[in-house]
Amino acid sequence: MPPEDLAPGEAAQWARRAGLPLEPGRTDLVTATANHIHAVVATLRELDFGDVPPSFDVPFAPEAPEARHAAL
Amino acid sequence: MRPFELTLADAAAAIRAKDLSPVELTDSVLARAEAVEGRLHAYVDVLAERARADAAQAAQEIAAGRPRGPLHGIPMGLKDLIDVKGLPTTASSAVRADHVADGDSAVTVRLADAGAVLLGKTHTHEFAYGLTTPQSRNAWDAERVAGGSSGGSAVAVAAGAATFALGTDTGGSIRVPASLNGVVGLKPTYGLIPRDGVTSLSWSLDHVGPLTRTVRDADLVLAALTGRDAQDSAGDLTGLRVGVPRTYYFDRVAPDVEAAVREAIERLRDLGAELVDVEIPMTRYVKAVQWGLMVPEATAYHERTLRTTPELYAPDVRVLLEAGELLLAGDYLRAQRARTLMRRAWALMMEQVDIVAAPAVPLTAAPVDQQSVQWADGSVESVSDSYVRLSAPANITGAPALTVPVGQDRAGLPIGMQLIGRPLEERTVLRAGRAYEATRTDAGRLAPGPAAEAGSQSR
Repeated sequence: MPPEDLAPGEAAQWARRAGLPLEPGRTDLVTATANHIHAVVATLRELDFGDVPPSFDVPFAPEAPEARHAAL
Repeated sequence: MRPFELTLADAAAAIRAKDLSPVELTDSVLARAEAVEGRLHAYVDVLAERARADAAQAAQEIAAGRPRGPLHGIPMGLKDLIDVKGLPTTASSAVRADHVADGDSAVTVRLADAGAVLLGKTHTHEFAYGLTTPQSRNAWDAERVAGGSSGGSAVAVAAGAATFALGTDTGGSIRVPASLNGVVGLKPTYGLIPRDGVTSLSWSLDHVGPLTRTVRDADLVLAALTGRDAQDSAGDLTGLRVGVPRTYYFDRVAPDVEAAVREAIERLRDLGAELVDVEIPMTRYVKAVQWGLMVPEATAYHERTLRTTPELYAPDVRVLLEAGELLLAGDYLRAQRARTLMRRAWALMMEQVDIVAAPAVPLTAAPVDQQSVQWADGSVESVSDSYVRLSAPANITGAPALTVPVGQDRAGLPIGMQLIGRPLEERTVLRAGRAYEATRTDAGRLAPGPAAEAGSQSR
C-alpha cells in the first residue's frame, strides 16, 4: 500500500511531537512541502535492499565481490 | 595584462619571476572587487586591510628567499561557511548575525600554510540550502542568477575579484555556479578534503573544493589542500576511456548545452580518448536519495535555531527545515541504503570507462525571477531542481566531478561540461580537463563586464 499524505492537522500534530509547534498560518505550507518531499523519497520503497547496509556503514573504497550482486 | 586578469598559475609564475609582487596583485584584485561589487555582490565582506597586510608579509617572505609554493601571495575568497578564526561565519544568514569563529577551519589552515591571501568571505545561498544565491548576481549578466550555493565564490572568480576561491558542494553547489559563471569548479572525492570548521548542510553529501579560472589552477589549489603534487602537463588522452551517457545526462537538457557538450566530447576523442556509450544506473532514484539524505540531515543541523529563532531564516530555507521534521527515520535509512546500492552500481559502470563526460547543468543561468523551466517533452521543472539534477549523482556516489567551460549558448551565457571520475582518481579527471582546456583559445577568460568597468583601473 502506498504511503498516504499527511493532512494539515496530522502534520501539525507530528510537528508538535517533534517539539516544533508550527506557527499559525504555516501549517498548510509546511504540510504541502513535507508531502512533496515524501512523495519523492517514497520511490525508494520500490527497492529490495536485502542485506544492504546504510552507506555510513560501508567503507568508501570499491568493492567487495558481493557488491556486484547487490548492484544488479 | 592587468594583475587581476591573471590566472593563478600565471600570477604565481609572475611572482616567482619577480615580475609581480603579491602586494601589486592583491591591490589590483581588491580594486577590481571594489569596481564590480556594486553590480555583482559576490562578497559578504571584503577584508582589504588584512589582505594587504598578508600580501606584504608574503612579499617579504618571498624576497627573503622563503617561497612557499604557487599559492604564496595569491588573493582568494572563502565561501562564508568556512571558519576563519575571529571572523563571523555568517552563512549569509541573519541567524548567524552575532557569530564569531573561535578557530580556523582545516582548509583555512592549509591555505594559510600555503601563503594564500584571504580577500574576504563570499556569499552563499543561505546555509547552502539552495541553488541561486539571491544576494549575488551572475558575472556575465547581472539580471541572471549567480547559481549556488557557492554563488559568491564563482562570481568573484569569474569577475577577477578573486584569483581563486573555495566553495562547498552538497548537490552541485560548486559545479552549478562555476558552470553558470564560466569558471572551473572541482568537487573532489567525498572525504578527501577535511570539512572541520565548515558549516554543514548535509554531512553525507558535503564536499569542499576549489573554484578557479582554469583546470590547471584547480589542480594547484587541490594540491595545496591535499598535500600531493600538482600534475606537470596536459598531454594527449590516448588510452583514456570516456563514458558518454546514453541515459539521464542528456535528457531534458537545453539544445545549446547539449550541442556544446557533445562538441567538447568530440574534442576529447580528437585528443586520443576512446568514447564508450554507458548506461547510467539507478537514475530513477537520484532525487529520492539526494532528498532523503539532505533534508533530514539539514533539519538536524538546525534543530536548535529552528526552535529559537525560526523567523530569522529566509522563507525558502525555513520551510524546508520545518518539513524535514516530518520525515521518518525509515525514509532516511532507505536513502542511506540506496546510496550504498548506487555507489556499487556506479563502481561497476566505471569499470568500463575512466571518466564520464556530461553536461554540468541542463540550462544556463536563468533570469533572477524565473522559477521553472518547461522542457521539450512538456515536463515542467523548478529551476533549482534542474540545476541539482545532473550534479547529485556525484554527491551521492562521492565521485570526483569537475566542471569545465565549453562555450556559450545563443544568449552568450556560459556552458559547463562535467567530467566525473572514480573515487580518489582526481588526477584522471584533471588530466582530461586540462587536455580539453588546452584546445580552447579562451581558457581562463574573465566574464565580459560592462564597458564602464573595463578601464576602471590599470596596473
